[in-house]
Amino acid sequence: MAPLLEVDDLHMHFFTRDGVVKACDGVTFTLEAGRTLGVVGESGSGKSVTAMTIMRLIPEPPGKVVSGDIRFKGESILAMSEREQRRLRGNRIAMIFQDPMTSLNPVYRIGEQIAEPLRLHKKMTRKEAWAAAVELLRRVGIPQAEERARNYPHEFSGGMRQRAMIAMALACGPDILIADEPTTALDVTIQAQILELMQEIQQRTESAIIMITHDLGVVADMADHIMVMYAGKAVEYGSADEVFYHPLHPYTWGLLDSLPRHDVDDKGALCPIQGQPPSLIHLPPGCAFGPRCAYAGPACRRTVPPLVDIEQGHLSACLFAGDAAFIARYENRVTRAGAGAEVGG
Amino acid sequence: MAALLEVEGLVKHFPVNEGVFLSRLGKTVKAVDGVSFTVDEGETLGLVGESGCGKSTTGRCINRLLEATAGRIRFAGADVRRLRRQDLKAYRRDVQFIFQDPYASLNPRMTFGEIMAEPLVIHGVGTRRERQDRCKEMLETVGLNPEHIHRYPHEFSGGQRQRVGIARALMLRPKMIICDEPVSALDVSIQAQIINLLEELQQEFGLTYLFIAHDLAVIRHICDRVAVMYLGKIVELGGWREVYNSPNHPYTQSLLSAVPVPDPEKQRRRARIILKGDVPNPIDPPSGCRFHTRCPLAQFPLCSEQEPALRQVAPGHQAACHFAKPFPIPEHKMGREALFDGDSE
Repeated sequence: MAPLLEVDDLHMHFFTRDGVVKACDGVTFTLEAGRTLGVVGESGSGKSVTAMTIMRLIPEPPGKVVSGDIRFKGESILAMSEREQRRLRGNRIAMIFQDPMTSLNPVYRIGEQIAEPLRLHKKMTRKEAWAAAVELLRRVGIPQAEERARNYPHEFSGGMRQRAMIAMALACGPDILIADEPTTALDVTIQAQILELMQEIQQRTESAIIMITHDLGVVADMADHIMVMYAGKAVEYGSADEVFYHPLHPYTWGLLDSLPRHDVDDKGALCPIQGQPPSLIHLPPGCAFGPRCAYAGPACRRTVPPLVDIEQGHLSACLFAGDAAFIARYENRVTRAGAGAEVGG
Repeated sequence: MAALLEVEGLVKHFPVNEGVFLSRLGKTVKAVDGVSFTVDEGETLGLVGESGCGKSTTGRCINRLLEATAGRIRFAGADVRRLRRQDLKAYRRDVQFIFQDPYASLNPRMTFGEIMAEPLVIHGVGTRRERQDRCKEMLETVGLNPEHIHRYPHEFSGGQRQRVGIARALMLRPKMIICDEPVSALDVSIQAQIINLLEELQQEFGLTYLFIAHDLAVIRHICDRVAVMYLGKIVELGGWREVYNSPNHPYTQSLLSAVPVPDPEKQRRRARIILKGDVPNPIDPPSGCRFHTRCPLAQFPLCSEQEPALRQVAPGHQAACHFAKPFPIPEHKMGREALFDGDSE
């Protein structure tokens, strides 16, 4: 059987006056039911564009899928008619946006907004849909759901709005939930509530989640698989444990190293990645991460490294990822810091 | 060592001006409601808490960007709230500020050189030539090219702009810098660069920092002592090791447990405390202990009637809870149930 979602070498470019912005430039992954894919990367790395492309939410022009394919249960989303896409969107594939303040319509009651996809996709009557919306609000932990459904978004707090967004996304029982930085605008105690809620829903409904975030802690908490993006490209893909404990790309090394340690008592200087991310219009020749990479050699300036399967399902887009001696340079460094971690508890 | 800054019983209430009726009722937002702490010379004190807890307001009152409602602020022996004209100007020379948003805090119509020279102009330091030399020198100190003196903020990334914000704060050789969320607008890899820079500068110039942030990992890394705030009050204060390794207030413990750590294996084993509901409205804070509405340990009527004072739980370590002890919330009070029972305020 075909996997739930396959993204195959996707290239989404924007044609602007200043040049071609290669916002998503070679992204490949598969997603199975009940699984969570974490997509990590810094701002401008193409995480959101990838999600929006899957949802077909990017206006064309200026955007254009230059090559690649997206298949939902084996069927190409790109080849579908607008009508068929609409049947998918909000129904089989739903999205939770980062900012619940701007993504809810301020002039409609919360309940009506949750009921809308049900009336549209499930052909429910107004009354049925309203009852279902109240039930959904209850399920995402809104107290006094019946009264609360009659509220407008401004009467909800940030955490409650995000719950309402989740209720809306869940309305049609989607196969895939795409969450774009769903907790970034929230405080940590509210973030914990939302993450817990998403995990609980996933266990019950078996839906797959694509979790887009820049927070490696959130990814560690949620994801089964992780895709690391840099300058529009997937640079590493693998199981969460593989990516965290045996990363195979220097950019991932840099990301993990730049975090303040949460477990070590000895507070040395952090190890940031030097320099700035490149402009997506003028990408450096060869490997886009090359100019910031502490390990780059002359070959990195000549060749754009392809995303290659290095060890059973663990992919890296580094020319040297298959070289054990090269990887050891990072792993040995980890052992030293790891020794410190033992002491700190 | 003598305390450089002493804050005692600091109160800042904002009158609510929305609509005629509310202001007639004399309602106020109790943003900061009796906060006391000291900062020693050369140390970094962290103020941490969720949005609306009053940490930024505290910083602004100290620098007299806001006038406090009550309380005492002493800096190097001087009573800050009584300073006028020349004395206030001199005080602000010693206590500089770094803002969160490097896009909003730099004037887009001024060059980096003009931005950095501004404090010197205001305080009448040096000739034009000397000021320019000092700007170049300072650009180099914060890791930018001295040639950038004639360039404008829009030409640079967030991280580079934040370096200029830091350079501007350093121009007058202050004794103390109040850093208000200086890295929260930046990407992870850039965050680490700026944190390292702040630490190097502290060494080089013997600076004292009041470091305001919501990111517990960043606070842990950079601070010597930490004050945790909730709804306008300090709930726990102590050395970073004590606060992080042995939290005595249930709020601190919940906050720490809510932050997902970038380590999948650990994250799977961790029990996280899910606080119910949202932070209450500071216009009408809960009676007694302000945390009692969300606290898993709250006992009635004690917690809803008697406000716990900040008391010593170990040398140099204080907590404001009737049941303060290391890790006060037992394991059986953690978990998911809180998510669904009574989310009401």
